[in-house]
Amino acid sequence: MKLSELKGKTREETATLLGIDPEAAALEHFLALGLPDKKSEEYRYFRVEKLLERDYKILDYVPKAIQEAEKIVISDGVVTHAPKGLRIYNERCQTMDPVHFDPLYYLSHLLSPHVIKIDLDGDTDIEIEHRFTQSNTLINYRIVLANQANRHATVFESFREEEIEDTLVLYGYDILVAPDSTLRILKNQLMQKNRYAMVASHRIQLAQRANALIKSFDLGGDMGLQLIKADLDRYAHIDAGHLLYLNHEAQRGTVSKIIHKGEHSTSHQEAKNILDGNARGIFDALIKVEHSAKYTKAHQNSKAILLHEKAYMVAKPQLEIYIDELEASHGSTTGQLDEKQLFYLRSRGISYTEARKMLVIAFANTLIDQVKDHRHQDIIKASFEEVFYSGS
Amino acid sequence: MKTLEIKNIHAKIGNKEILKGLDLDLEPGKIHAIMGPNGAGKSTLSKTIVGHYDVEVTEGDILYKGKSILDMEPEERALEGIFLSFQHPVEIPGVNNAYFLRTALNAKRRHEGKEELNAAEFLREMKKHLEMLGMKADMISRSLNEGFSGGEKKRNEILQMLILQPEVIILDEIDSGLDIDALRAVSEGINMMKDGKRSFLVITHYSRILDYIKPDYIHVLKEGRIIKTAGPELVAHLEEHGYDSIVEEA
Repeated sequence: MKLSELKGKTREETATLLGIDPEAAALEHFLALGLPDKKSEEYRYFRVEKLLERDYKILDYVPKAIQEAEKIVISDGVVTHAPKGLRIYNERCQTMDPVHFDPLYYLSHLLSPHVIKIDLDGDTDIEIEHRFTQSNTLINYRIVLANQANRHATVFESFREEEIEDTLVLYGYDILVAPDSTLRILKNQLMQKNRYAMVASHRIQLAQRANALIKSFDLGGDMGLQLIKADLDRYAHIDAGHLLYLNHEAQRGTVSKIIHKGEHSTSHQEAKNILDGNARGIFDALIKVEHSAKYTKAHQNSKAILLHEKAYMVAKPQLEIYIDELEASHGSTTGQLDEKQLFYLRSRGISYTEARKMLVIAFANTLIDQVKDHRHQDIIKASFEEVFYSGS
Repeated sequence: MKTLEIKNIHAKIGNKEILKGLDLDLEPGKIHAIMGPNGAGKSTLSKTIVGHYDVEVTEGDILYKGKSILDMEPEERALEGIFLSFQHPVEIPGVNNAYFLRTALNAKRRHEGKEELNAAEFLREMKKHLEMLGMKADMISRSLNEGFSGGEKKRNEILQMLILQPEVIILDEIDSGLDIDALRAVSEGINMMKDGKRSFLVITHYSRILDYIKPDYIHVLKEGRIIKTAGPELVAHLEEHGYDSIVEEA
């Protein structure tokens, strides 16, 4: 199936092509937004059309018996392994966002009306490994995460693929962060060798006094875009950090909308971008403060280092504010490695390559060091080094 | 054999020629002090020796142990044993001081065909120097020079020198910004390195440091050239009469 065939189709035609109920709620939203192309605001800097024009094999997502393991493994959209006692369901989605900005969020829901629901009971720390084994395939699945009030949960995401090619992965989370709770999501994704492309479309709903820490570490090459919409209720807080370390012909990044709806809600969003080769980094991020969100604090920042003259950063931090009673800032800088620092290290006998690596890692460390679990931190640092040495 | 021979060096920064035919030989085991007015080219001389990217050498040569170093990268010069203590050490947030020092030391050890030190061995090696320099133990776990006071930065430079054990040591205004206690500690570190073989090039504006590090030679640098070389007695003359009193030697 070519997703581009959905362009300009009527409700009935789209339903027939996708094999879905024409009355599905997501269909109306998808049709209203339309299939993305280069004119779409969210995909302006990402060549999504190229991905939509490919002919993909479509999979049947039949739940399997889950084997016991230390982590959750989702292989081609189906849960195959999980820790003992963890409650995982395959059920119809009850939490779809009625006003998401991303058409592929709705397409993803249309293609996967049944979601993988994971209950995060109590204070918990889980790992989700996404595995992809099929070439020329559209792998589509959605995950619902729900934690409990007054609890603290951490989800560490990793990605593993076999020798595949030309696969498109559409996936995403619908997350409800419960009142007075904390949910940390750490994503470490090293992509190389054009084995697959990914569009990850998330919705995060923060209840009153909820905290969400969303840290993404997108490393390597290839095409990948994460689209995040977060809604903040009263006294909710989101801390979003995005590290891009890209090389070769990579096109990756974040498009996000953080919407302050409740009073005293706070957000902090920081992007660190290191771009080598012909890579293009994307940080297109809006923070919107609605009339109801008095006394909001919202801060947003993007910093980029270009390691090659052909590397390119699209940094668009934006604020959309409808009230006066708030504290807000945003900024963006793009530059190169500091020549003085590089020379200082070399003057102590450290090679140019090693000195460059130390400075690149130092730049990234401000985000990596925020990962408190040393085991996770080591995994991220190892991925980082792998990319560094493959690109130098 | 001379340790370092600077022969008729002409060097410019941008379009401005700073060193204009400078000759200087550093002898093994000797302390050479370079003094001179502002803008004479003292810091450019140190940058030229270590291969700073700002400096373009247009004429002349620099020989280290009889071999030209002008085509060598800065790290190659460092590995061979040339060390510059910077006037303004740069801050590098995110680079851990201990990690940096161990990386530099192990690069040198590899270069010399020695085994690298692991973290525990390295810490043992470093601790003995920290105490002598009056440095707090937490300084090695902080980011390199980040938030360090002027005195702490200079002590950190000397710590690097003690760990790397170079053979030619260039100290560019090591005394600037130091209080009396820091000056003593830094001088003690420098004096510890005297072994009768190493050469020192001490660049300074003031005679104060020379009370602690006794020079063998004083060179006066003016307008890009050494205009006079004499023994330590020249310091008193310069203090009293200033640089204008020095007439270029034939």
